[in-house]
Amino acid sequence: MTAAARQFYAEFVRTFGNVLFAVSLFVVWGALTLVGVIVDQGQDPSIYFQSYAAPIARAILRLDFDNVYHSPWYVGIIGLILLSLAVCTFKRVIPARLPPLRPVSVEKIPLHATFEAEGDAASVRRRLADSLTARGWRMRERLFGGVEWSFADKHNWARRGVLVAHAGFVIVAAGTTLYWARGFSGDLAVVTGQTSQVAQTKMLMRLDKFAYTIDPIMTKSGMVYQPIDYVSHVTVTGNDGIPKRMIVRVNHPIDVDGTLYYQSSYGFGTQFLISRDGRADPNLSSRVFLEGDSFDLPGSERSVLYERFTPTVDKQSGMPTADPRVSDPAVVVAVSQAGNDLGEALVPLGGAIDLGGGWRLVPKRYVLYSGFQYRNDPGVPLVGIGAFVLLSGLVIAFYFLPARLYVRVDPISPQRCQVGIAATTVKGYDVFESEFARLMAAVKSESA
Amino acid sequence: MPPDELLVAVALCAYTLGALALLTYFFSRAQWLRDVGIPLAIVGCVAQFVQLGVRFETTHIWPLLNLYGSLSLFAAMSVAIYIGFAFRYNLWFAGGFVLALAAIFLAYGVTWYEGTMPPVPSLQSYWAKIHVPIVVSSYAAFLVAFVFSCVYLVKYYAEQSFGAQAGSPVARWLSALPSLPQLDVIVYRAVAIGLPLISIGIITGAMWAKEAWGAYWQWDPKETAALFSWIIYLAYMHLHTRHAWRGLRTNWVSVIGFVSIIFCYLGVNIWISGLHSYKV
Repeated sequence: MTAAARQFYAEFVRTFGNVLFAVSLFVVWGALTLVGVIVDQGQDPSIYFQSYAAPIARAILRLDFDNVYHSPWYVGIIGLILLSLAVCTFKRVIPARLPPLRPVSVEKIPLHATFEAEGDAASVRRRLADSLTARGWRMRERLFGGVEWSFADKHNWARRGVLVAHAGFVIVAAGTTLYWARGFSGDLAVVTGQTSQVAQTKMLMRLDKFAYTIDPIMTKSGMVYQPIDYVSHVTVTGNDGIPKRMIVRVNHPIDVDGTLYYQSSYGFGTQFLISRDGRADPNLSSRVFLEGDSFDLPGSERSVLYERFTPTVDKQSGMPTADPRVSDPAVVVAVSQAGNDLGEALVPLGGAIDLGGGWRLVPKRYVLYSGFQYRNDPGVPLVGIGAFVLLSGLVIAFYFLPARLYVRVDPISPQRCQVGIAATTVKGYDVFESEFARLMAAVKSESA
Repeated sequence: MPPDELLVAVALCAYTLGALALLTYFFSRAQWLRDVGIPLAIVGCVAQFVQLGVRFETTHIWPLLNLYGSLSLFAAMSVAIYIGFAFRYNLWFAGGFVLALAAIFLAYGVTWYEGTMPPVPSLQSYWAKIHVPIVVSSYAAFLVAFVFSCVYLVKYYAEQSFGAQAGSPVARWLSALPSLPQLDVIVYRAVAIGLPLISIGIITGAMWAKEAWGAYWQWDPKETAALFSWIIYLAYMHLHTRHAWRGLRTNWVSVIGFVSIIFCYLGVNIWISGLHSYKV
């Protein structure tokens, strides 16, 4: 290794092994996370220009703040944190875990106590050791320059708490990376009576029936229509080729060949009778359109957008009501000519609307469709293990305080000794001050 | 008045009177005020837990699924954690601030009370009984840390201004408070309760999300706001390992952390729409 490379390596280790550098990375990570909380994610660029002043909207789009969590900034900062974590672990955490036994100047350590005890040095040492051992301290003796030192450690194993927490963080990151590399996810809408397939799997899903329960509840602010249950009865055919009947509910996904399917939404598909000059268009009239679908009228520049389904229309006002249960349904359709909006209309089921040019549209019947999310995530076990390890590390690091006592016994006379005890912990002195005072009071009385 | 509403009223009264007594005790150090404030804090806290139990017993609906219920638990847990700290470390002097905040949050929660409503499908899960109490308890621990950080900062800046005037009433009053390192240790201990709890809360939330929404992490505003708070307290813990940063600066981080918690808890629920919006 050349001198320049050695210098670079030393600088790299010094920077990435610095706790304040790690905290600076946390600050940037936190700031980017906050950006994602405040700025709506994954919206169309026009939404940002509507919501913010033009310079801010441009900045949001150019800096990838519209998809910040998958931006190079975000991935990069997590990468830097992992790097810093690795360097800190190997250069700071592991070496600091097992500090060597060495003599100290007792009086120079802020947590220290000195007192006199009766007896020769050996018996005082023995009484001190008995007293500390009875309280869970592990005693060790060493000779330095002819002076015998006693060292007492408590919760020494807990010195590995930070190391365990760091390892957990790395395992979580590995599990997440595994999903990015090998997993997949997506949405699937299946109309009642129809069968759909997920592109990445061979699984076939037929929606036999979808049902929902919505209860009207009178609250202090007025009537609320509270969703109670969404349930999809499906027949799935997995890799084994055998159709199986299953039920998908919110909080109760189904597992088909390692891919999980979740109940996520529902909606109303509509079959329209679309005719020109009194003759039905067989292609358009046979299809079931979902909310948001649009279609072009053959031989014209006109297109029709099926905007949404309205479950209940007030008979007197002819306007949609808040009741999401189907009673007197209607659909909202919008018509455009060569990209220019011509208007929208609320058309009751069985009612008709003239689309111009001899075209006529009648919403014939509605059919429920169920929305599913699917996800295949091979990283889940790793993330789970990592979370457990991270948590274990935090608990060890926070609730167990590794401390070391340095004990020196100096004879003053044949039957009297001067005892000096100093204490250090991995979290400074203040956190151990009151416990040290109690410990010294007890040790003093027992070894006096 | 139904029993649960009566118990909320009792808790609110107890917190308000207890806050007045202990706030006055904070400044005057008259022992009888402390002796009045402590039972009031305990009565209010017990009334709240009983209220939550009564509510669950009468409606058979987990009472923490809306802002009213969770704010109620937040207030109760804040006071409970504080009482634990106060008994352990003799910290009754700060009780007025904790009780005042608990009363404010409880009163604010009452404004969201809409009566009994069955939960929406995504909240019909056993995870609601695990995730919500853990997260709310972490918020409560951070509230206690916030209060002691404020006391630390007040003492620090007051000592800067009045510390030199030995023998003055302010200097005497300041000396009656725990030392700055002692206050710092109390804040550290409260954060050391909150950080593992919020970590467990985020993890159990992720497990619930995996069951309900198909992914353990959706980058939902609530999730990311919780992550943001977690990062702040993680930074606090890292900074606390540095002698030069321990004290004034870490206590400012604790204050910022609690502001982020309130943003995550209330701001995101109320102002930002997302997968957790139903919680209001």
